Amino acid sequence: MQKRHPLGTFALYATVIVTCALLLFPIYWMVVTALQPSSNLRAYPPQFWPTDPQWNVFADLLAKHPFMLWFSNTILIAFATMTISLAVSILAAYALSRFRLRGGQGLGLFILTSKMLPATLLIIPLFAIFRSTGLVGSLWSVVIAQATLIVPFCTWMLKGYFDTMPPELEQAALVDGCSPLGTIWRIVLPVAAPGLAATALYAFVVSWSDFLFGRTFLTTTDESWTLQMGIASLKGEFVTEWNVIMAGSIMASIPIIIVYLFLERFLVGGLAAGSEK
Amino acid sequence: MATVQFDQIKKSYGAVEAIRDFNLDIADGEFCVFVGPSGCGKSTALKMLAGLEATTGGTISIGGRDVTELGPGKRDIAMVFQNYALYPHMSVRKNIGFGLKMQGMAARDINTRVEEAARVLELTPYLDRKPRALSGGQRQRVALGRAIVREPKAFLMDEPLSNLDAKLRVQTRSEIVKLQKRLGVTTIYVTHDQTEALTMADKIVVMKGGEIQQVGSAEDLFHTPNNIFVAGFIGSPGMNFFHGTVATGADGPVTRFGETKIALPAKCAAMAGRDMIFGIRPEHLRVAESGPSVGLTLVENLGTEKILHFHTPGQNMLELDRTALANDEERDAQSMLIRVIDDRRYRDGETLNLSFPVDKIHVFDPDTNEVAG
Repeated sequence: MQKRHPLGTFALYATVIVTCALLLFPIYWMVVTALQPSSNLRAYPPQFWPTDPQWNVFADLLAKHPFMLWFSNTILIAFATMTISLAVSILAAYALSRFRLRGGQGLGLFILTSKMLPATLLIIPLFAIFRSTGLVGSLWSVVIAQATLIVPFCTWMLKGYFDTMPPELEQAALVDGCSPLGTIWRIVLPVAAPGLAATALYAFVVSWSDFLFGRTFLTTTDESWTLQMGIASLKGEFVTEWNVIMAGSIMASIPIIIVYLFLERFLVGGLAAGSEK
Repeated sequence: MATVQFDQIKKSYGAVEAIRDFNLDIADGEFCVFVGPSGCGKSTALKMLAGLEATTGGTISIGGRDVTELGPGKRDIAMVFQNYALYPHMSVRKNIGFGLKMQGMAARDINTRVEEAARVLELTPYLDRKPRALSGGQRQRVALGRAIVREPKAFLMDEPLSNLDAKLRVQTRSEIVKLQKRLGVTTIYVTHDQTEALTMADKIVVMKGGEIQQVGSAEDLFHTPNNIFVAGFIGSPGMNFFHGTVATGADGPVTRFGETKIALPAKCAAMAGRDMIFGIRPEHLRVAESGPSVGLTLVENLGTEKILHFHTPGQNMLELDRTALANDEERDAQSMLIRVIDDRRYRDGETLNLSFPVDKIHVFDPDTNEVAG
């Protein structure tokens, strides 16, 4: 292998460091802001690490607001949305990928175009549907609304992934005596793990960060709020405690990191290597 | 072990007929090879037998039982795919044992059967590896192991050697034949490689355009082809073809090759005056003291044998587009070949005299492309 020029190595490391710094700075600033009183925020010169970190901000947040309730609401919504979206899109994507459906090609494109509709366009018809079905104020309203936006994109993502898998894998399983659904469960899903992980992560992140649907459908009582609505409510009319908002934001970002760390091992591609020649 | 029967099988994709009037009986324990050019329908026929493709008409029986409407898992067959189709997330042990697990066999029995199959295929050291940690040849053996461990009624193999390098292909070819003889399981094998077909099969089915052209042993197909397509497809290098008018000579029927008369089989006497297509294999043409004179255009020295090329005389040249050889891209109507095994040194441009042994000349009807007489 050709040895890299020292200048090239320097440029490579410099690029990596600058990119990481740009990406991590907002998180660092979120932590710094959370750990000092709001009055210090506009101090000049700015403090890059508070001299007296206010760790009690997290305890105060939990004591003064139903934060854990918002947290569990959001967790429920995100996991329900992710599960429903994956279940629907796996079957839809598999059918589009493997079966010669009449108008299948056009259907695939139509699914993608439905993703291009802005969420705000769906709000009024969805509100009308949820009001008539009595779902306004229920967490299910956000789950269903999110799924309508997430399923098309997940289907499109998974179809692309299934298209790359050799159909002989499923044929071999069928010959081995596996049922069609068993083939999906035992062969297709494990082999498609990287694609599923990416899709699940997308569904979880989109649904976790929802504000619009929650703000529209869950306004009846603060007990049904999501984290994003709760954190938004911390912004006062006259005074805003930015340290409390940032403390909430830090805690809100932890599940995303955990989900990512869990799915990361599946995200690495190449699982199908070795199935073929 | 079982017999396999195709009865009036048809397969259509919309208006396109992929398989027509496919009738075939395969005996118990027979090694049957479907061979033909790309797109001839051989893999489709195999997939219909496996239950992976639905038939448009006709019935398929395995062991006397009509399986036409049964799913692949209920036909008691095992299949080896061209790309092996090993389950990448499972170890070799689990790959081989998967079919048994689906049958509901106890884990202990599965393990015994898997280890026995692994021993036969020399895979024991690799049982706990994933397929990605195996070489191409080892993966191929895992695919075979997955088939034999189930002790099915029939093995179906879809070009299982085409991804191996030339040396390994020859070695694995003989291993498959030995394994099949030992197990005695009816085997249906698909290939486009006529060498595989000729060396492995008890029965060869030559296909073209979704139809069976001829069924027979390697000997039958080589020496008594039914039609011009089989004659041209079987044998390497392929049979030489030329056309000429049958005339009546002093000692029997003759035709002109260039300016020289050559004797034809006695059955051609009834074809006097007709234009016919004649075929002779390169190894049957002889370099002689007298006979039609030809100039060598190319000498290919392959060590033990030499392939000599010469121009087909203009008046004898076939219009390939008007025959069943129209899609044979490797065939050159302008050239004919001689295959010789001797120590003589041949040079480009050299003039030779040829003899055409009468009993080695095949005669075909130009209208039907079938063997004449």
